[in-house]
Amino acid sequence: MTQPESNGGGHVLPTPAEHLSSPRTRAVLRVQQRLLAAAREYLVGEQGCMELLPPIIGPVTDPGARGAKQVDIDYYGRTYKLMTSGILYKQAALLGFDRIVNVAPNVRLEPLETASTRRHLAEFHQLDVEIAHASRDEVMDLAEGLLKHVVRAVVDDRAAELELLSRDVAALKEVVNGGFDRRRHADVVAQVRAGGYEQSPDAEIDWHAEASVSEQAVRPFFITDYPKGSRGFYDRESETEPGVLRNFDLIVPEGYGEIASGSEREWDYRRIMTRLRETGENPAKYDWYLDMVRAGIPASAGFGIGVERLTRYLTGVDEVWQASAFPKVPGVFSA
Amino acid sequence: MNTPLDAPGFPREEVAERARHGVAAIYPDAARYGVSVFGGTVPVAADALDAMRLVPPVFVPRRLEKLIELGREPVHHDVDLRTDIGGFASSLPVYVSAFGSTEVAGRDLGVAVSGQAAACGIPVVIGENVVPVNGYRSVDRAGRSMLRRVHAYLDAVPDGLGGVVVQQSTEDADAEVWNLVYSDPEARALLDSGRLAFELKVGQGAKPGLGGMTLLDSASAAALQGRYTIDEAGADGRRLRHSSPGTFTEEVLRQQIRLMRNNYPRARTWVKLPPARDVLAAFDIAVTAGADAVTVDGAEGGTGWAPKCFLEHVGLPLAECLRRIGEPAARSGCLLVSGRFWEGSRTVKALALGARAVGIGRAALLAAAAHDDGVRNFVRALSAELQLLIAALGKYSPEPLSSEDVWDPSGAPHAPAWDASAYHDGLAEAP
Repeated sequence: MTQPESNGGGHVLPTPAEHLSSPRTRAVLRVQQRLLAAAREYLVGEQGCMELLPPIIGPVTDPGARGAKQVDIDYYGRTYKLMTSGILYKQAALLGFDRIVNVAPNVRLEPLETASTRRHLAEFHQLDVEIAHASRDEVMDLAEGLLKHVVRAVVDDRAAELELLSRDVAALKEVVNGGFDRRRHADVVAQVRAGGYEQSPDAEIDWHAEASVSEQAVRPFFITDYPKGSRGFYDRESETEPGVLRNFDLIVPEGYGEIASGSEREWDYRRIMTRLRETGENPAKYDWYLDMVRAGIPASAGFGIGVERLTRYLTGVDEVWQASAFPKVPGVFSA
Repeated sequence: MNTPLDAPGFPREEVAERARHGVAAIYPDAARYGVSVFGGTVPVAADALDAMRLVPPVFVPRRLEKLIELGREPVHHDVDLRTDIGGFASSLPVYVSAFGSTEVAGRDLGVAVSGQAAACGIPVVIGENVVPVNGYRSVDRAGRSMLRRVHAYLDAVPDGLGGVVVQQSTEDADAEVWNLVYSDPEARALLDSGRLAFELKVGQGAKPGLGGMTLLDSASAAALQGRYTIDEAGADGRRLRHSSPGTFTEEVLRQQIRLMRNNYPRARTWVKLPPARDVLAAFDIAVTAGADAVTVDGAEGGTGWAPKCFLEHVGLPLAECLRRIGEPAARSGCLLVSGRFWEGSRTVKALALGARAVGIGRAALLAAAAHDDGVRNFVRALSAELQLLIAALGKYSPEPLSSEDVWDPSGAPHAPAWDASAYHDGLAEAP
């Protein structure tokens, strides 16, 4: 059986047969199944969200993925994209339902250097939530409640799997032992820089710095208020603090890092058009979205949780590809 | 190669001479030595930069420093031209400025220029629209792809020198040119050796306020319909493809630069500005937002295609852009300039007035068209001239050049005030 060829910094993946027949993989995927069921219990059962099946292709997709290339497909002679995230459709879905959730496949041709971060996949799934008329605080509360519910369900119902995987369950249980801190991006940057690391104040917290703040935490926490140049056009800019976004990331402890991003959304046509230009986009290709926004969409807030990253955190596996049945590591030509 | 290439208004013959003969071409014909006498032949030029003169001093304290360092009298060969251009080490303060999908550059000349510039150890900018119009991989459209230019560069570049700068305009965002390059295994050698930059094209010298333009046959135009504005362009059925100029405000420019730095942390960030009336404000914003280099393309800059009224009547001349930015602001960042550069004196004047390096565009294409080794010969000639001129000014690297080295007959202020005490302390040279 041939090993998948690697272009991603020497990464070698097992064959599909080796991977799927491994007891560890099977334990990880059983945890993942419980995670998804628990998320539905919480979001659909308790929070009244409507689950929609997400689109996979469209004329345009989320341009906000840092440095990653979108996948073009020939759609009857026109160029369509595989979804890098469902953000545009999440906003559209609120025209039908006020609270929505979907489990969406995303494809991002990430830069090759991400093959060595242990936390990037070229193909992954997002648990996407969007709530009409919600504030950032409300959706952070929702994300916190969701994560606690999922952790309880996995700890209670997948004890054997966690034991097989040697997961430190005591560390995991910290999630439900208290509230999640909310820390501003500028404060996290100051903390990292005080430790002697050159983190730009105008940019995303980079992977090295993020891993270090994650290792120092005992419980998940939110980083809020990212600077404008670091995120996509749809994260709402503060009206009282120009240049600061009403967004957040959810960081889990033990070095696992970011598992979710969310924000209040821009919904006003004029602001969206301006933000599109600030992110270097050509508005021409967003015509269906801009027509819809011009006619009016609800204000909203929401988030997306990386399902494989959350699975990795719950199971304690070393690398995120181990949390996927059919992993695609950037630059590795696997099945 | 050796394709005849025309360049109205540009000293094509002089460039071709350098492309064929290298350093010998910077001197008069040696056969005329002893039988002719030579003097200035140029009438007062309309170009304000050309009208300025370089003015060597009598007193040369930096030459004294060099003399002490070397233990002998310094000569022009002692001028070290190596410099940093927007994060890249370069063997001289010169880079090849962008030419894009234009017909002239689209021929093998683009690839030849890339390879030869690489061999010279100078950075190269690959123009906007090369990917959406000509394709990325060679299979897209034989002989025209961006990767061929990248490979030609990597094959020839010496260790520790050079870099490739990939431009993206508003329409290029649809083709995700930067993301494509940044995540491509074939371009990885550029990233891994610190030789990749991305250039945000805000505008260009020959047609400020307009986007890129190329003339296309009707079949090519049909393929691009919907992505670009296409106009009728003449009786022969050809079409004119327009890029949009893109909408910029101060905040749009600032945020686009920050986003580039955020999204491509391993690539350098360059910005290209048109010769606009608010060029100083745009330069300041770009530098403050963290651009590694900001290029100002003067109105005399070259282009593949532009309306005649723009060529003759639109945009600030480069000399005025340099005056508006001013030497102190220019040196607060890395200012690059382009527009009619092909020989040493104009280059040294621009460096003295605040530029870190100059871009050659038409000159590089003409040199590649004139001789198989044209760009290399041309760069050798330019290097020799730069060494002669800088040494004559009593300096031995480009960095100490300053406005004191230039006389501007227009009287517009360039030089700092004469400070006698500094001179007597041996810290400054006589103006």
